[in-house]
Amino acid sequence: MNYDQLVNASADAGYLLIANGAEISRAEESMRRIFHAYGMEQGEVFAIPTFISVSLSTPDGRPITAIRRIPSRQVNMDRVDRANDLCRRICRTRPDFNTIRREIRRIESLPAVPFALQVAAFAAVASAFTLFYGGNAADAWVAFFCGASIRPVWCLLDHFHVNQFFIYIAASFVPAVIALVFADWNAYLNYDKIIIGALMNLVPGIAITDFMRDIIAGDMIAGILRFTESLLVAAAIAIGAGVALTATRTLFGV
Amino acid sequence: MEYFACFWSFCACTAFCLVYNIRGKALVFASLNGALGWFVYLLLSFVKNDIFQFFVATVATAVCSEILARILKKPATEFQIVALLPMVPGNGIFYTMEYCVIGNNAMFIQTGLHTLGIAGALAMGILLVSSLFRISNPPYRSKLP
Repeated sequence: MNYDQLVNASADAGYLLIANGAEISRAEESMRRIFHAYGMEQGEVFAIPTFISVSLSTPDGRPITAIRRIPSRQVNMDRVDRANDLCRRICRTRPDFNTIRREIRRIESLPAVPFALQVAAFAAVASAFTLFYGGNAADAWVAFFCGASIRPVWCLLDHFHVNQFFIYIAASFVPAVIALVFADWNAYLNYDKIIIGALMNLVPGIAITDFMRDIIAGDMIAGILRFTESLLVAAAIAIGAGVALTATRTLFGV
Repeated sequence: MEYFACFWSFCACTAFCLVYNIRGKALVFASLNGALGWFVYLLLSFVKNDIFQFFVATVATAVCSEILARILKKPATEFQIVALLPMVPGNGIFYTMEYCVIGNNAMFIQTGLHTLGIAGALAMGILLVSSLFRISNPPYRSKLP
């Protein structure tokens, strides 16, 4: 058996899972299962949200290690789902490594959500949450525009490789300013409901959900990293909206 | 009429499924799970303790996610993330920040601690359910050489 390819296949599968927002415990377990499926009992795996390392010693005692750096992560549950199915299939049928590589390539090249649909979905989330928190129909319309502004700002800053923390500040600042400008124009709007609705788009849902699941599974470092990430993002959202509130209060004297 | 919020919770969750690229049957069930969470929250409003309400609602959605994950053969996080979102204290974070900006320190501390309490309740709910389901389905570890 080609052990180099086994290590690569397992690392690629883990990369695919983590880069698209799976829990660390799921990725580690999948990689271990792949090793076991090919009869390697002593495969070692370690992963945190930004890094994967897999190591294997061949029967003649030669260690093989592969590491993968994960520079950016996104949430694409469809890919996680397919990668998870692929791992199960690998364990069941033990295909050859070229097939695995082709399948992973295929999942990676699946189209992500189109930009226009993303903008629409962000706008819909903002409207629905504004109504959910007790806003009225006029608030929901303003929230629709606030929500729609988030994704273009995000993509623009991401294009210039601005750091994640600043992107969150800017992406919460812009919708808050739009909401406050509308609120200055029409005093009957509940600006707080609009801003909360729009900012629900930025809430780090994946970090909050996964950090507890990772800690329970025993991946302390991964859990702590996610916890820190969620605290930082929450702080960034608050800073962005806070700057907007202070600035408009100073300018308009509301 | 406050139960109408469950419908908005459902709509918000559906839109979030599009953002997270959740498709097919999972989209419908994840959204229903989100509505269920808020329904449980409102159902328990007689206890007048929202941290407890949030805890029970999280437990309900987490149990549903684990069951749905086993029926539909999909990762449990897929249902869990979406269902948790309506309960994330977004308004708590906002009002904490607003009190901080206007300089009302007493309310800032009070709202901040309350928001932390809600976040803790959500985390505890997931912890409880996830641990219990791990008893029936223990994690896969490599054997020691």
